[in-house]
Amino acid sequence: MNIRSLIVSIGILILSQNVWAQQGSFDQANTLLENGSPMEAMSAYRNVESSGSVSGALYLNMGITAMQLDSLGLSKFYFLKAKEYSTTQQQATEALGYVNSQFSRQSAILPKLPWDRAIDWINNQLSAFGLFLIGFLLTLSGLSLLYLGWLDKVPLSKTFSTQLTLIIIGSSLALLAFYADYVNQRYDEAVLISSSQRVLESPDENSALVSIAYEGYDLTVDQWESEQAEEWVYVRLGNGQYGWTKPAGIKTL
Amino acid sequence: MKRIGRLKHFFFLLLLTFGFSGLTVAQDIQVDAELSETNIFNGEQVRLEVSVSGNAMGSVQQPELPEIDGLRWLRGSTSRGTQYTIINGKPSVTYTYGYVLIAQSPGDYTLPPITITVEDKTYQTDPIPFTVLDPASLESGDAERAPDIYIRVEPDTKDPVVGQQVVADVVLYFKNGVEVSSYQPTPGWKAEGFWKEELNYPQRAQTSSTIVNGVRYQKARLIQYALFPTKSGELTLSPFEITVSVRSRRSSADPFGFGLNQERMTLQSTPVTLNVEGLPELNNAEFIGAVGDFEITRTISTSSALVGESIEINTQVSGKGNIPLVNKPDYELPESLERYNPEESSNIERNDREITGSRNFRDIVIPRNEGDYTIPATKVAYYDPSRSDFVIVTLPELTFRAERDPDAPLLTEKDLRFNVKPITGLASWSKPEVKPLHERVLVWMMIIFPILLTAGAYGFKKYHDRMQTDSAFSRSRRATDKANSTLEEADQTNDIKAGYHLIDKALTQFITDKLNLPPAGLSHDQLMEAVEKFNDRELNDRLRKILNKCKTIAYAPNATQESLTADIEITREIIKKIGKLS
Repeated sequence: MNIRSLIVSIGILILSQNVWAQQGSFDQANTLLENGSPMEAMSAYRNVESSGSVSGALYLNMGITAMQLDSLGLSKFYFLKAKEYSTTQQQATEALGYVNSQFSRQSAILPKLPWDRAIDWINNQLSAFGLFLIGFLLTLSGLSLLYLGWLDKVPLSKTFSTQLTLIIIGSSLALLAFYADYVNQRYDEAVLISSSQRVLESPDENSALVSIAYEGYDLTVDQWESEQAEEWVYVRLGNGQYGWTKPAGIKTL
Repeated sequence: MKRIGRLKHFFFLLLLTFGFSGLTVAQDIQVDAELSETNIFNGEQVRLEVSVSGNAMGSVQQPELPEIDGLRWLRGSTSRGTQYTIINGKPSVTYTYGYVLIAQSPGDYTLPPITITVEDKTYQTDPIPFTVLDPASLESGDAERAPDIYIRVEPDTKDPVVGQQVVADVVLYFKNGVEVSSYQPTPGWKAEGFWKEELNYPQRAQTSSTIVNGVRYQKARLIQYALFPTKSGELTLSPFEITVSVRSRRSSADPFGFGLNQERMTLQSTPVTLNVEGLPELNNAEFIGAVGDFEITRTISTSSALVGESIEINTQVSGKGNIPLVNKPDYELPESLERYNPEESSNIERNDREITGSRNFRDIVIPRNEGDYTIPATKVAYYDPSRSDFVIVTLPELTFRAERDPDAPLLTEKDLRFNVKPITGLASWSKPEVKPLHERVLVWMMIIFPILLTAGAYGFKKYHDRMQTDSAFSRSRRATDKANSTLEEADQTNDIKAGYHLIDKALTQFITDKLNLPPAGLSHDQLMEAVEKFNDRELNDRLRKILNKCKTIAYAPNATQESLTADIEITREIIKKIGKLS
């Protein structure tokens, strides 16, 4: 066995031990939940989450635990996290339907524009990197045709439109991937977990009231705009209104 | 034609006499007198018109002019005219009597009432004040110095308050004898510090006569703007520019008076400064930015609604003034009402030298819980420049009741049951990747790779094309390989003469290929001559020596295999050196 094989084997061993440790802590937290100790179970789940590796099952169980702790906003947050994983998507969707029906105040939701929905789909289903990769491969295909044309392997004039189409579509997709990534970095979906919070026109306690957000409201946090004022976040409510609010009580997905 | 005209006249009189003879109302007779100028130079002629109009008149006697101080009637210049009109089905007739008078002595006078007798009844016109000016009193040269044509921007006030409407007329002044055939304002006039609205104004400008600094001008109001100052202090209206086409009679250039000179010229007004005053302090009401005369109302769309149903609070500010600049009043709404972005709309009229209309604001609120809701009364204010004070309007309290919708679908027991169980088995673990695209090295490599690849491929293409088309380039690029190949052959041969022959061949091939010389037929001297261009003495000596040896090898009895090998090495060095220098 040479040195390289030894290093790889040690790496795999450490990694698997770490995963086993995650699974072990997760099992312990599950036992606490089954034994009727949701407070301790939540604490144990949080320890698992803070260790770095996460799973849909972890978030689903955290949502159920939060419900037992009578924190609907928090449970909605964890169910939304669990919905991002294919293994727990179905249970999380069902759980969210129940949790949303329990909130005493419901926010009006303006449907998103088709363009925004498309960007969301790219970020959630395809990922910006995936789209970039598709764009890269298409561009490379177009360029390869061009190289072959230069080397007189394929007729340049006959394949020109194909090359141009591939290069333009590929480059556009790569640019779109960067835009989707920019949107993903700038805007974060969030849930209000406190009972209510005032949303104001400017980051000042004395400024005019825009609206009041209640527990369970879906918010969109503009991270870049929020950097302009310390201890404030700039949010968009479900009904399209914008305003400033305190970050306490807002859980960002 | 004449007969028809007489017939028309006859029928009209018939209509006046019989058609309306049954009317019991008093006849509406109106008499007027008008002087064509009220500022007249001594010796200048002026026209007086006396008109009598009414819907039923029998006999009208031509008025006799009384003695008029300052003016003398030029007898024989009297004219008379009749005009028939039908307005809204009512016929009317107007008799006009014209007189030409001449100004006699400078001073301020009054045209006395003129008596007119209509069907034995007497009527009198109103007196008209007028002034006769002495041309000698004017400064000499004033008339000459005065421009033939110019424009001015004339605001109706020079000290408005913030938000008050100022009507600014763009007026064209031109001397008698100048005929303006068309005008075109230059677009893009800026009135910085003002909200500007162009007022509706007749397309065909009417002219009137006036005297400016002792010079008679015709003036025509071309455009009207309503300006609303948006800040206090000294605000200046920038010059207004207009292009006019004029025809003027120039006796010096056209002594026979045959033609009229057509000319296009650009005119610019002088800047006008307004001193805008700020509004006074207001403490007990909300000022909504309105300045003028307004009516403010607030209504609610319904007094009872279902939970989740939208309710509209409509606020209307209507009247005259700075309507586009009116702000929405801020209402104190119960916190439990969900509030949507308000909608705004305006309806503006620009007639009769003022901006009128309304500005409407619609607040949309949604009750999320049942109960009674109250939107408290509020005081809003606008500033009325005619009173020089704020007018405070109290908008009344609004109330409504929200109830649950009895027909709303109830949640079933299934909907309310939470059936999701915790997952207790093995889970698949992953680390969430949150690195943005621009921070990934792989992404940058994927961007740079096609660029480098394309640059390389393009370079190769250019090289390939040149090798195919440029024989000199191709020979030069292949020269070293060919020479080395020949020397390799020389290195392996055991025949010394053949070896030197191959050295000679290698050198000749290399030099001719590298320096683009004819491939055959060159002597050693010609080769030397070509290489001497590099001015490398050592190279020349070594090359000459090798070439001489190749030439004289047949007579060299001491030639050995070792000397051949050494000379092959020297040849390689010579080739290398020439390759670097070329």
